[in-house]
Amino acid sequence: MTTDRFVLPAIGVSAMPVTFPAIARDRLDNGLQVWSISQTTVPVASALLVIMRGAVDDPADRPGLAGMTADLVDEAAGPYDAIQLADAFARLGTRLAVDVGSDVTTLGFTAVAHHFRAALQLLGEVVIRPRLAAADLARVRDLRLSRLRQLSSVPGAAADRVFYQTIFGDLPYAHGVLGTTRSLTAATLDEVRAWHARHIQPVDATLVVAGNLTRDEIVRAAGTALGGWRTGPDASTGRHPPEAMTIVPPSTLLVVRPGAPQSELRVGHTAPSRHTSAYYRLLTLNALLGGQFLSRLNTVLRERKGLTYGVHTAFDFRRAAGAFVCETSVQANGTAQAIHDVLVEYESVRADGAIGADELARAKASLTRGYVRHFEIADQLVRACAQLVIYDLDDDTFDRFVASIEAVNATDVVAAARSFIHPDRSTIVVVGDPDECQKPIEALGRSPTVVTPEF
Amino acid sequence: MRVAFTKSTLSNGLDVIVHEDHRVPIVAVNIWYHVGSANEVRGRTGLAHLFEHLMFEGSEHQPRSFFEPLQEAGGSLNGSTSADRTNYWEVVPKDAAARALWMEADRMGWLLPALSDARFATQRDVVLNERRQSYENRPYGLAQFVLLETIFPDDHPYHWPTIGYPDDLRAATADDARAFFARCYHPGNASLCIGGDIDASAALDLAARLFSDIPPGPSVPRVEAPRPIARPRRLVMEDRVELPRLYLAWPSPALFAPADAELDLVADLLANGRTSRLYERLTHESRVASELAASQGSRDLDGVFQIVASAAPGHTLDEIETAIARELRVLARDGPTAGELERGRAQAEASFILRLQTLGGFGGCTDQLNAYNTYRGEPDFFDLDLQRYLDTTGDALRASSGEWLDPDRAVALSVVPVGRRDLALAGSNDVSQT
Repeated sequence: MTTDRFVLPAIGVSAMPVTFPAIARDRLDNGLQVWSISQTTVPVASALLVIMRGAVDDPADRPGLAGMTADLVDEAAGPYDAIQLADAFARLGTRLAVDVGSDVTTLGFTAVAHHFRAALQLLGEVVIRPRLAAADLARVRDLRLSRLRQLSSVPGAAADRVFYQTIFGDLPYAHGVLGTTRSLTAATLDEVRAWHARHIQPVDATLVVAGNLTRDEIVRAAGTALGGWRTGPDASTGRHPPEAMTIVPPSTLLVVRPGAPQSELRVGHTAPSRHTSAYYRLLTLNALLGGQFLSRLNTVLRERKGLTYGVHTAFDFRRAAGAFVCETSVQANGTAQAIHDVLVEYESVRADGAIGADELARAKASLTRGYVRHFEIADQLVRACAQLVIYDLDDDTFDRFVASIEAVNATDVVAAARSFIHPDRSTIVVVGDPDECQKPIEALGRSPTVVTPEF
Repeated sequence: MRVAFTKSTLSNGLDVIVHEDHRVPIVAVNIWYHVGSANEVRGRTGLAHLFEHLMFEGSEHQPRSFFEPLQEAGGSLNGSTSADRTNYWEVVPKDAAARALWMEADRMGWLLPALSDARFATQRDVVLNERRQSYENRPYGLAQFVLLETIFPDDHPYHWPTIGYPDDLRAATADDARAFFARCYHPGNASLCIGGDIDASAALDLAARLFSDIPPGPSVPRVEAPRPIARPRRLVMEDRVELPRLYLAWPSPALFAPADAELDLVADLLANGRTSRLYERLTHESRVASELAASQGSRDLDGVFQIVASAAPGHTLDEIETAIARELRVLARDGPTAGELERGRAQAEASFILRLQTLGGFGGCTDQLNAYNTYRGEPDFFDLDLQRYLDTTGDALRASSGEWLDPDRAVALSVVPVGRRDLALAGSNDVSQT
């Protein structure tokens, strides 16, 4: 046994560079962008169709319409009814995932490479020839109404609903993708069809494919499956919400959950969009404040006090705005303590000299050294490409990440915290038992208002 | 399907499996200890999982924290505990492979000097909060506990939940944890898998250098289990939920036992996804159920097969139960269609290939090699495992359904909104009175 047996092994002097694979770009006659990444190592392919429309494009009085429409497209399409369509994907060993976010809608699958063409052909049916039939809408609507009802008893769902509605106020990001019972009940088949005709268009879509296929194979398969997709006469130009970062007056909101053994918490406010020049500073700041296991917040609330199973913070960067939020679930009798500690830690990163060299170096290292882990499989590559599409980023974004984080210094981070973290202007949402938490929260000087989220 | 690997066993009994894969400059370290909540005793339930938490709190030569040296190396890491095993993993850039292995070795050999009473007490509080978050405060979160307690007799090690009972967690001491470590955490009860961008012989040399001086421990006897209780019951519990939900559960075959793969296919065919029979009948056509799922939850000693369905607003659990019973009888009489069988095989084959894309983490290639090595004594079980699904017949599925899923012998648990026991299946008894 050598004498260094009990000495922690060193690691490399610097983070490993990341070279994102080359993206080949083509465009079909109908305007659809096709991005290809050819990889030869694993006989698998992932496809993701990114359509630049999401819940922000819901009509003001119909929150949830985009989500319900997307849910309906793979119910029945072309020659297939809902069950035949699911069966056809299943026989290819895959399934279609349709996902609606606030900014975009995606349809995608991962399949063994020799089934790629057939699966893409099915995806094409869903995109080009959805039936959008009355009977299917009735079923999908009922399922979504049941889902809303179920979510109303999930503490995290109730907390999110109140939090985002409050901080985003009038912005279209205020409502969730699922919408509300009122809205979905009122929505008609004509509205669904009109929304689809306006928004699901090839000119505003990009197909990203990564896998064991050549560029030519990918483009030809895309042409066969999606070449017949036409931009209709009612096509919209899309809604681009104004870049906005208004912070609403602070409030403390309580959703009553009798007998709850824990309180679900959200603490935060609006934040800049993905386009902010402070992006890398904010990522670094978040890592040390609440983004990683040994962040300030997780160290205090979990590792020192045992009040929670875990706590984390995140900047939720979207196209036109963002949010900064702390999420946790804490034991009921520790609710006020946890709120106090979160606000103290928010304040702690804003002071002169708040961030020491060691803490900064560790946070940066966890981001830069770990970066290479994010590009292992085909699905990760297509989702990375989707980020480039959604936020209109340069191709070398991923290659520059390590250097961009390395350039961040402590002064920058404190300045970013002062600009973008506001303990005194935070919206606080608590889903919990008032008997346990109301008085202690009042003792913090933050008298909670009881609210009931609309589901 | 070939997953290349080498396996050797160190003199202290530690299995070391190395899987080279040079696609991406990362290395996955994965270690399984063949110990879980089944190795606990009544009165100290939850100890195996609480112990898993303590494994992240530091060891003698890195006493501050397990996370810090790996987080600053760009690693991602986690662990989990089941009834049968506890696993730990790190995925790191390749320059940190030696560090990740060193950290695992230090906590395998030198954990206790860093384990203080204070750390134990804090992690016990964290686990009590994990229990609140994941079970007590989650809709339907306690239903699984009731099913396990009903299907497995008091002295069966699957009777209690892996997270443990709160009173037991509060009664546990740091000395219990120390004794547990001495009994179960040693090289002879572990399997180490290293995968990724690393030379196989270098990885093996490194593992030998770091782990060989950890002394072998006492062999951990195989857990003895009485037979599950195959007795029909109708139970009801109230919860903070909106829609009533029905759980139907049966004792079922253990992992890799005869009929395990068949029932796995039956679960998909019955209730998973839009191609399933119950989805078609109960959600697509009659619209009495709004959520559906089924699983063959097979574990080392025994399994539990369950079907879960939530009533759509305006419909009853009795309607759902009647419809499920009818489908079960049809399946036991006629078996699957050729198309269903073909689809089940295609999905099984694809899922085997797709999950091998990922090197590390839960369910990744290294985790799977260790699972096979732990349960079968042989990492190279991918083909034989898949073959179980490809070789089966419609007759075998029909017979397995008939043998294991008798609708008259199910444990039927209704979970209903607070104050609405009238929404339970007719003739249900209160859980707390059983």
